[in-house]
Amino acid sequence: MDDALSGEGIDRHEAASRPRLKQLIRISPWGAGVVFLSALICLPIVGVLLHLTDSGPEWTHLVETVLPGYLLNTAVLVVSVTLVVLLLGIAPAWLVTVYEFPGRAFFSWALILPLALPTYVAAFVYYQGPEAAIPFLIWVRTEISVDAFITAELVIRYGLLIVMMGAVLFPYVYLASRSAFSQQGRTLIEAARCLGDSPGRIFFKVAIPLGRPAIVAGAALVIMEVINDYGAVHFFGVPTLTEGIFRTWFGMGDKVSALRLASIVMLGVAMLLILEKLLRGRARYVEAGAPTVPLARVRLGRGKAVPAFLVCLFPLALGFLYPVARLTQWAWLNLTSERGVSIPFGESLLRGLALALGTAVIVTLLAAIFSFAVRLRETPLRRGLSRLSGLGYATPGAVIAVGVLVVFGALDRLGNSFLPLFSGTLFVIGFAYLVRFFAIPLQLSHAAMDRLGSSLSEASRLLGKAPMATFMRIELPLLRGPLIAAGMLLFVDILKELPLTLILRPANFETLATISFSLASEARLQACAVPSLMIVAAGAAGLIIMNRWLSPSANP
Amino acid sequence: MIKSLVLTVGLVLGFTSQAFSEAKEVTLYTQRHYAFDEIIVAKLQEETGIKVNVVKASADELITRLQEEGENTPADLFMTADGAGLDRAHKAGLLQPITSEAVTSAVPATLKDPENHWVAVTQRARVIVYSPDRVDPAELSTYEDLADPKWRGRIVVRSSSNAYNISLLATLISEIGVEKATEWAAGVRKNMARPPQGSDRDQIRAVAAGLADVALANTYYLGLLETSEEAKDREAAAAVKIFFPNQEGRGAHVNISGIGVVKGTAKAELAEEVIEFLLSEKVQAMYPENTFEFPVNPAASLSDVQKRWGKFKADDVPLSTMGEFNAEAVRTFNRAGWE
Repeated sequence: MDDALSGEGIDRHEAASRPRLKQLIRISPWGAGVVFLSALICLPIVGVLLHLTDSGPEWTHLVETVLPGYLLNTAVLVVSVTLVVLLLGIAPAWLVTVYEFPGRAFFSWALILPLALPTYVAAFVYYQGPEAAIPFLIWVRTEISVDAFITAELVIRYGLLIVMMGAVLFPYVYLASRSAFSQQGRTLIEAARCLGDSPGRIFFKVAIPLGRPAIVAGAALVIMEVINDYGAVHFFGVPTLTEGIFRTWFGMGDKVSALRLASIVMLGVAMLLILEKLLRGRARYVEAGAPTVPLARVRLGRGKAVPAFLVCLFPLALGFLYPVARLTQWAWLNLTSERGVSIPFGESLLRGLALALGTAVIVTLLAAIFSFAVRLRETPLRRGLSRLSGLGYATPGAVIAVGVLVVFGALDRLGNSFLPLFSGTLFVIGFAYLVRFFAIPLQLSHAAMDRLGSSLSEASRLLGKAPMATFMRIELPLLRGPLIAAGMLLFVDILKELPLTLILRPANFETLATISFSLASEARLQACAVPSLMIVAAGAAGLIIMNRWLSPSANP
Repeated sequence: MIKSLVLTVGLVLGFTSQAFSEAKEVTLYTQRHYAFDEIIVAKLQEETGIKVNVVKASADELITRLQEEGENTPADLFMTADGAGLDRAHKAGLLQPITSEAVTSAVPATLKDPENHWVAVTQRARVIVYSPDRVDPAELSTYEDLADPKWRGRIVVRSSSNAYNISLLATLISEIGVEKATEWAAGVRKNMARPPQGSDRDQIRAVAAGLADVALANTYYLGLLETSEEAKDREAAAAVKIFFPNQEGRGAHVNISGIGVVKGTAKAELAEEVIEFLLSEKVQAMYPENTFEFPVNPAASLSDVQKRWGKFKADDVPLSTMGEFNAEAVRTFNRAGWE
């Protein structure tokens, strides 16, 4: 009992009266754990940030030649894809939450499925679009002018890239606004209804302002995905900053300038996240009163149900049905053709799946323990470390890969005689996934613990249970739903991950993503369709599980 | 739940520890991503008992990995699909000289490093692919000519981040100087029907589809398209023809795919045995039939597809030029606005 009281969390008032130094010196295993884990995660990230002001040999050349183009392309994509995801994501979320119409229950979960498509897979499907436009382009060239032809090609390609990226990324906004609408605005929406507000007015005056923080958070995720995209922009020949990092490093051999570019990208994203925090302010937007009464959905008459159906169908068709239909068609051609390519799905592939699943489980647990520790005592240090260790999500995979190589290379040299070698093992790649994706389960478990509140665990602590026992008996079982959801989202992300996997993978190691990408970069559509469909299938399964555990009605 | 967690962790660790190697095994870091290479690896194990563990990534990613892993790298062999990558690995001190007589005598002097830090395994020419319907071969002459305004809106080429383009420009720089090479790149860029994108296959498809009249591509892609699993590719291959440029002058640009032994490996002998196998007449004769690359062993014969392309004059620019002017070529592309 005494131990518990003098330990973590309960002694905030006491601490204030103590000398500061003593408080700093007292090291708890939880504090030490947080510092150690985040130090590990931050090592490769800080290694990159240190280059913010270094000019490599090619820096001036970059600034004078290609950098403005990279910046322009990045800005164009970020702004326009954000617009597209807002257009595609918010309206269906509103419709499936507030109204009842045929297909509503299906759309409610199906609209997250586009997340199962890696952008580079969607890219090679959509890249056939410019090809279909060739007769038109030839007509423009012969009938109008070469200049008009070149402009038309540019417009078609950029347009398709933007629509394609928006179509596979909008579920981030959809998910965020769906949960905001269904949880946060319930009583207010019903109050507005009672006051006789029109549905349009409720949407713009109540739902959108209330959902804003969630929508902004969803859009922030989209922006990070766009900035870090590696395959799709390469396919469409639209070099962004991330492609610039690759070219500077691997084409020009200027590591320092490449890392400087990476640190600028990271800083930009960090500023974006801070801005989002500021916009949100201190507002929590959580409704008082935990018992959740589902919002009474208004049944739509036929005249309105059809448009509602179409508004939901359109994004799903763009981001999932069309690409999957094309992939299925190509995969069928490949399987039925006598020259069809057989994909080597062997042991290596099982290892890839096991790695994705194992890493997802471990990283989610670490994140849960981490955010529990941060909440045990919210010191500025712990909060800061928790922010910093989420920055990996804003870092291009290739940059993290090299940061991780440096760390383990040094470790191997240090422990040469007494430790087994890390280099070239699955451990390295698993650790890199941890650094890259830690933000996802961390955010989700922070949010879940916020919702849970601290009264239960404080009661447990007062009854004399140690922090670990409290975590195992209170937080872990009660947060099972959100944690499984986080783990599944992580699994899907790891499944799709590419640049990091390509650089760090051990010998004879293939994932569905590496097989699919190597065929796609050879432009072998039919052969590539088979592994791509398998990614989509595995990802969709993960997302459906996620959705089940995420929905407020899921009762674990 | 706890039980399943422990199980997963154990499973992952089990797979991890499996990566440590045994006696007759070598690890190969390779840029090559052709399905045929897997057949060769299987054949090698069958005939010599050597198991090759393969890591595939781009040349410079692999060079970075070799540098960071240092002396603890699991790699014994390093292979690229481009001469410049080998030269850069050698300049970074990552390769050691090959001592095997069988290796060094199988390859002509022009196709290996003077001190045998690396040797070529195959060759490929980067050529002009054109539509015979819209282009009279008499219009075609040299790489340099592609910058001429008469090609405005008629050319497609892939992006400047591609190693084959960088090496082509590197040899141009060594031949005509940076200034003229910059003008050339800017001229070709201006003549493009669309900004650079896609792979060499996509360029050939674009010419076949009528989007452009000429493309720059590696020879073997034509063979691959001709024998592709996709009907559309076979039609594309039938709709275009190959032109070997600069036949009156220095000859067509020829690049290599090659291999070297990683410095400090404890398995140098096994590694060299692998190279001997790749250079043996039998395996060398398999490349032309499967990947449509040209062999380096003069004893190996060409495939029918290659014979149909006809004989051509290859340039005699030393291979080290590609590595030497690599960075300058990238800068030149950047200055010329070739994305």
